[in-house]
Amino acid sequence: MTWVTWQQYRYQAVAAAALFAALAVVLLITGLHAAAVWHFALTHCAADKSCASLVGSDLPLGNSVIATLVVATSAVPVLPGLLWGAPTVASELETGTNQFAWTQSITRRRWLAVRAGWLLLAAAVLAGAVSAIVTWWSGPFNALTADAFQVNRFDVTDIVPVGYAIFAMALGICAGTLLRRTLPALGITLAGFGAIRLVIALWIRKHYLTPITVYYKLTTPFTPPGSYLPVSQGVVGANGYPPTSGAGAVGVDGVPIPAACQQFMGRTNFNLRPVLSCMTTHGYRGYVTYQPASRFWAFQGIETGIFAVLAAVLIGITFWVLRRRDA
Amino acid sequence: MSAVIQTSGLTKRYRRVTALSDCTISVPEGRISALVGPNGAGKTTLLRLLAGLAEPTTGQAIVLGGTPRQDPAYLAEIGFLAQEVPLYRRRTAEDHIGIGAHLNPRWDGESVRTRLSRVRIPLDRPVATLSGGQRAQLALALTLAKRPGLLLLDEPLAALDPLARQRFLGTLAEAAAAGGLTVVLSSHLIADIERVCDHLILLAESRVQLCGDIETLLEEHRILTGPRKDTTAIARTYAIVREDTTPRQTTLLVRMNGPVINPVWSVEEASMEEIVLGYMSQDDPDYSTERAAPRLSAVGGDQ
Repeated sequence: MTWVTWQQYRYQAVAAAALFAALAVVLLITGLHAAAVWHFALTHCAADKSCASLVGSDLPLGNSVIATLVVATSAVPVLPGLLWGAPTVASELETGTNQFAWTQSITRRRWLAVRAGWLLLAAAVLAGAVSAIVTWWSGPFNALTADAFQVNRFDVTDIVPVGYAIFAMALGICAGTLLRRTLPALGITLAGFGAIRLVIALWIRKHYLTPITVYYKLTTPFTPPGSYLPVSQGVVGANGYPPTSGAGAVGVDGVPIPAACQQFMGRTNFNLRPVLSCMTTHGYRGYVTYQPASRFWAFQGIETGIFAVLAAVLIGITFWVLRRRDA
Repeated sequence: MSAVIQTSGLTKRYRRVTALSDCTISVPEGRISALVGPNGAGKTTLLRLLAGLAEPTTGQAIVLGGTPRQDPAYLAEIGFLAQEVPLYRRRTAEDHIGIGAHLNPRWDGESVRTRLSRVRIPLDRPVATLSGGQRAQLALALTLAKRPGLLLLDEPLAALDPLARQRFLGTLAEAAAAGGLTVVLSSHLIADIERVCDHLILLAESRVQLCGDIETLLEEHRILTGPRKDTTAIARTYAIVREDTTPRQTTLLVRMNGPVINPVWSVEEASMEEIVLGYMSQDDPDYSTERAAPRLSAVGGDQ
């Protein structure tokens, strides 16, 4: 059955390898350039001890087209599921070739196990390879901007793309089996993958572990160290509630200024210090709730695990349906 | 002789329709059995149940000593050829031989090459470029290469021209003659069936109407022709399968269990076609016309 699977997918495998090679060449060239620039900047800042100001500076590491391309690799994990996963059972059912395949001396269970097994592995390998090169490429960029934990960075590096790819493949195979048609299965795979990725990345990921909250004096702003994941940020009064908008409803960064301090707004000339001092004396504090950079790998692990479990459930459903339903 | 297929009360219901109802048949070893019946009579359903591709709602089938099931040992004994002759369109015959070799414990790939070269079917061209007849030949050759004990063929002749049909049936007869093979073959083409089959299963309206060796069935059935007359006397002794009445005469197809004594009736042997049509049209008012009407050369609408 392994031979049969290979025979069926050899051209796709070659095509995927070729596309990966093309991407790898582009990222290798631009990545080496970025690494050289970064290294040069580091050696210079080390000489005059100015490295602290390097993070967040506008050091030109490479052009934005490639950076966009790297963000676009977040689509890579869904491709094997779409192109190979959704049609793998559906096209057999559509053309009736399942009746040929399933009346050879092989059970449907084994037929699916071998085929799905190799497809899942292929998806994992492809996504893993793309992720590996993207992770390497992103090194200097993430160091410069300290945003490895941000959406669109976290999602294309390290191990999560492997989890996504396995999930997309399982979704494709399962949808194709349930719907019996390739095209609807493609639609469901794309929509399902997009929706679940979005919901998890935007709303659920932040809450994998209880976030840390730090309160700080408004006059001495606090930024968590390294590539942290912000959950929320704001100002609270002594009563623990954010200030309510007074009559003037003047605000700084969306935070209303308490009535008692609004008098300082007029004369600030963009110097917020008097306002912030006033707020501090009235008991207002700033806070930031975040997931610290040290949790990066824990989060990578949790997210990969979630997608792996979802994939396992989908594959389980596929086996059950394929075995029970008439061919 | 032991029965290769033995079913009892085999029933398959889909949500609303009953595809096969209370099907009890027996096919002895070594027969080439014709499965006939109108479209939608349940022929495909029966074959799929026997192949283990579908599960019966109720009832039981014993095929080659076991229930049809998803099990390599069982599947190795079954050769199944679906009606639409499904093969991988972009693969060549040689690719299919390779697939078979990897999925079957005993596989005679060489026999496929021999059969195909004899009918000049290229091994290295995608299946999509082959004609319908060539595809059917390839599919049959692949099915035979499994060396199955039971061959289940769903309307393999429907798409073939007369010459291709002849070749196909030739291949089939030759394989059956080699021994150890039982065949069930669904078809609408009575003439072709008569050439190769020695057993008949007749389904109509999802029920078995007739099942037995063709020789016996021919012996048992007679056409009685006589003046228009009350048939209750006949019905007491014989089973009247079909009755056609015109103002002047009555024609009966009866299943006999003894000689007809009343000299009013002239007795003729019934042909396969008359028997098959007789059973198929039992409940169909459209068929209750004069026997003098032009005969259909085949049963059903696929011709």
